[in-house]
Amino acid sequence: VSVLAAAPRWESYLLEYGEGLLSFYASHFGSKPRDVCFILGKGFDPRMCSGIEQIIRIGGEGRRDVVTIEFDEGRASPSRSYAPRVEENLTRLHAMVSTRDRISSRSVEMWRDGRRTSSRSAANLFKSIEEFALYTDVIIDISALPRSIYYPLIAKLLFLVDHGRRNQPLNLHVIVSENPRLDSGIHDEGPDEVADYIHGFRGGSDREATAGQPRVWIPILGEGQKAQLTRIYDLVKPDEIAPLLPSPSLDPRRGDNLVYEYRELLFDQLRIEPTNIIYAAERNPFEAYRQIRRTILQYGRALEPLGGCRSVVSALSTKLLSLGALLAAYELKQAGVDVGIAHVESQGYSIEEEYLEQPTDTQTVLFGLLLGGEYYA
Amino acid sequence: MREPRNPFRLRASEHIESDATFVRLFEPSMLELLPEDGLWDKPQILRSAPGAGKTSLLRLFTPSALMNLHALRTHEDARELYQKLSSLAAVDEFGPRVLGVLLSCARNYATLEDLDCDPARKTRLFFGLLNARILLAALRGALAIRRLAYPQDLDRIELRASIAQVAPPLAKPWANGRELHDWATDLEARVCDAIDSFGPFEAESMPGHDTLSSLLILKEGGLQIDGHAVADRLLVMLDDVHRLTRNQRTILLQSIIDLRSSASVWIAERFEALSTGEMLSVGATKGRDFGEEILLERFWRKSSKRFEHLLLNVADRRARAALDGEISSLAACLPDSLEGPEWVDMHAEAQRHIEARVRDLAGRSGKFSDWVSAKHLREGTAREMALSWRSLEILVERESRRTQQSFDFALPADELEEKDDSAVRVAAELFLSDEFGLPFYFGPSRLASLASSNIEQFLHLAGDEFEELIAAAILKRAPLLTADRQQTIVRQASTALWEDIPRRVRRGRDVKGFIDSVGRFCRSMTYQPNAPYAPGVTGIAILMSDRERLQYSSHDTNSEYSRLADTLASSLAHNLIEATLDYRCKGSSWMVLYLNRLLCAHYGLPLQYGGFKEKTLKQLGSWIEPGFRVARKGDVLL
Repeated sequence: VSVLAAAPRWESYLLEYGEGLLSFYASHFGSKPRDVCFILGKGFDPRMCSGIEQIIRIGGEGRRDVVTIEFDEGRASPSRSYAPRVEENLTRLHAMVSTRDRISSRSVEMWRDGRRTSSRSAANLFKSIEEFALYTDVIIDISALPRSIYYPLIAKLLFLVDHGRRNQPLNLHVIVSENPRLDSGIHDEGPDEVADYIHGFRGGSDREATAGQPRVWIPILGEGQKAQLTRIYDLVKPDEIAPLLPSPSLDPRRGDNLVYEYRELLFDQLRIEPTNIIYAAERNPFEAYRQIRRTILQYGRALEPLGGCRSVVSALSTKLLSLGALLAAYELKQAGVDVGIAHVESQGYSIEEEYLEQPTDTQTVLFGLLLGGEYYA
Repeated sequence: MREPRNPFRLRASEHIESDATFVRLFEPSMLELLPEDGLWDKPQILRSAPGAGKTSLLRLFTPSALMNLHALRTHEDARELYQKLSSLAAVDEFGPRVLGVLLSCARNYATLEDLDCDPARKTRLFFGLLNARILLAALRGALAIRRLAYPQDLDRIELRASIAQVAPPLAKPWANGRELHDWATDLEARVCDAIDSFGPFEAESMPGHDTLSSLLILKEGGLQIDGHAVADRLLVMLDDVHRLTRNQRTILLQSIIDLRSSASVWIAERFEALSTGEMLSVGATKGRDFGEEILLERFWRKSSKRFEHLLLNVADRRARAALDGEISSLAACLPDSLEGPEWVDMHAEAQRHIEARVRDLAGRSGKFSDWVSAKHLREGTAREMALSWRSLEILVERESRRTQQSFDFALPADELEEKDDSAVRVAAELFLSDEFGLPFYFGPSRLASLASSNIEQFLHLAGDEFEELIAAAILKRAPLLTADRQQTIVRQASTALWEDIPRRVRRGRDVKGFIDSVGRFCRSMTYQPNAPYAPGVTGIAILMSDRERLQYSSHDTNSEYSRLADTLASSLAHNLIEATLDYRCKGSSWMVLYLNRLLCAHYGLPLQYGGFKEKTLKQLGSWIEPGFRVARKGDVLL
């Protein structure tokens, strides 16, 4: 496989957080005029506006347009009960954007005829690089977006950046406001009956022609996802499982706690080998990317004499770690290695009341990743 | 492959990696689900909630499973299964006689509907993809049956010369299996790449077919090796059909009917495949073109003793497959009686309490004097006496309510014996357990009842109990699970099932609210002092005409009852509620909705079927929100 010999695309990378990130943006936007398109989810998450607010506050010349992504999870979704919070967030957004800048909205079709269509719909939100002709930078804030939307959205924008023609590179940023405590208060409600693959990342898993190939599954473990893990397992039917645990992490016992939480599933039902467990730093998506990429390529190399294997990644953890899985899958897909991303969507989310009432900004840390553009040229 | 520590945790058949293990763990009585007549002639449809055993049943007919069974046919664990499959002509002493092709429809078929092209093109892509996959799976299976290597030996597969005539849409000059394989591989790859691309979709260049032509190619003798047909018959098993779109499912079923191929076709799907309207009418229709639908849970519910036998056999097979293999029977480790010395004091104490209460109740009237002095109240073990007194209390309550206006003539003792039937005894046992903290949910028979006709639910519960037995074995203790420990495990599993509803089920919050209302209502009905519905109420019923209104409501999202219809359909699809249709009672026809038996444990209800109360749609509508309200004295129960 030629990709084996190539250096990882994001071997060198730009990842900053907190004050470091704001300093980077101060320098980036202060160096010359920049026209920015912010893309963010319209939701009840108290962090919806915190990222864009901090970046706009930095200043700099140029446009600051915003595209909000709307997604309706259906009439039975528990998220609907937070409609007033969504409106509050929108009011806050309008207040921070100047009158000369444009706020527009695009919708993701979550369901059609009783079927999930969110991931394909999200990939079709933007169809051409020409749609970003006015901008030098695109900043996607995934803080209030579900995985089924931000995965295909980021992958599509990377695809457009890689394959579209522009005179100057488009800087593609992803930001996320991390707050583990708040995340622990937000719960998936009514996950779908069955798992499915994210659009663009079916990874050849459907093919009967290669049905005999062994399947390797790399689930990134997070708390409270047993039903999702089981459903993804039922979809993938892996022959080999290599779970990824967050380590090091802010809570040094988090990895152990996850093993404890899933001990029955991992060791009795799925019967994984403890030596298969891989680790990646909780707050560094590029390390998760490297570990996943390396694991997939190593399995591919080891099983090549037997006709190769198919790999599937599933992110059931924080958004930062989830991004690592996406980057690995995207790069390998472009290099001709089929990697699937299997996922279970939820019908909505609920947030514990106490987290809605508390100010989150003091406990929230903004992370930023630069995935493409002038710094990688 | 190493032996599992707790084989009960290998729940679905997909979790059992080796076919040899799968065959050894497969319980032959599962085959009773299949009809004796027309099994191979008519397409069969299997439907159930998740975990009822559909995929396991289908997997048994794949080449690899049949070959393993053939190899193990003299082995004790596989002998009976081999005999049963021999009688179905699926295998004989020379090996498999059926070429089983098992394909899951949970692949990317539904995604085809989202492509940017016209409906006719989508249909052609759907059949093209399905044909390619059926052919690829059949070619692989053909080589497996003849113990040839895949893909190296594809050249040895010959195709019957008449293919071009019988399958014009696929008429290609394929010389052998390899050419057919390469063609199908290429078709599948092109369609899959197009589906999964971030680029624009180019419909015109995509291949496709108009019908399920692959069945014509693969009909009897279609594939030959060394001049002989690979198998007597082809069996195409389409699993997870509920994952197709409604349109795809319709054209697939129609195509199977239209082709009337000599290949057998079995279809397995979850109830989710059905619309709310269809879900509410499951079991009410019989197909002319298909065999009568095989509803797994309903089949076992009709023959509960056979299901209990099946489950306990499954349990024993699993227990024997454990890593240390010290426990050969789960049932033997689950005491089913409270007659041991450790329970005597509790029962004696309970009896004293109840006797005092009954004497107080009966003392107001002379008519119970013979009953209170009945001989059997003073005979037997402490538990028997406590139960007799509790039964008497129920009967006294009943008589007191019934005959308030009558004279105080003493009721004869033989009348007591007549009234003290098994239903009253079970109600008495339940009341006794509830009041004095004695176990009720214990023993192999009740464990089987708690499965609610679902094998996966049984394996989950039995796995929890087996876990403790493994721990006992490690600690060198006797592998016995006391009755109270069994009950604790059951209650924990029951509560977990209930609490997990929003995380597992579509419209989970509504379903949980509704189930909770049903459970609390049943409890309030069951625990009335006179036990009027002994042994208890575990379900509700609506008129069949109301069921039709619900079906109608499901098509109209603004309808008054659409929310209730969706909630009921979701509950039924997940086996949280079990339905019995056309139940005749009080001159009307009813749809009875019983709680899943494991949920009965959460509400302290008995496990028997039969006790239900009639409800109107209006009443049930309010049970989702705000929920059932326990009536105060004098209130009308809603």
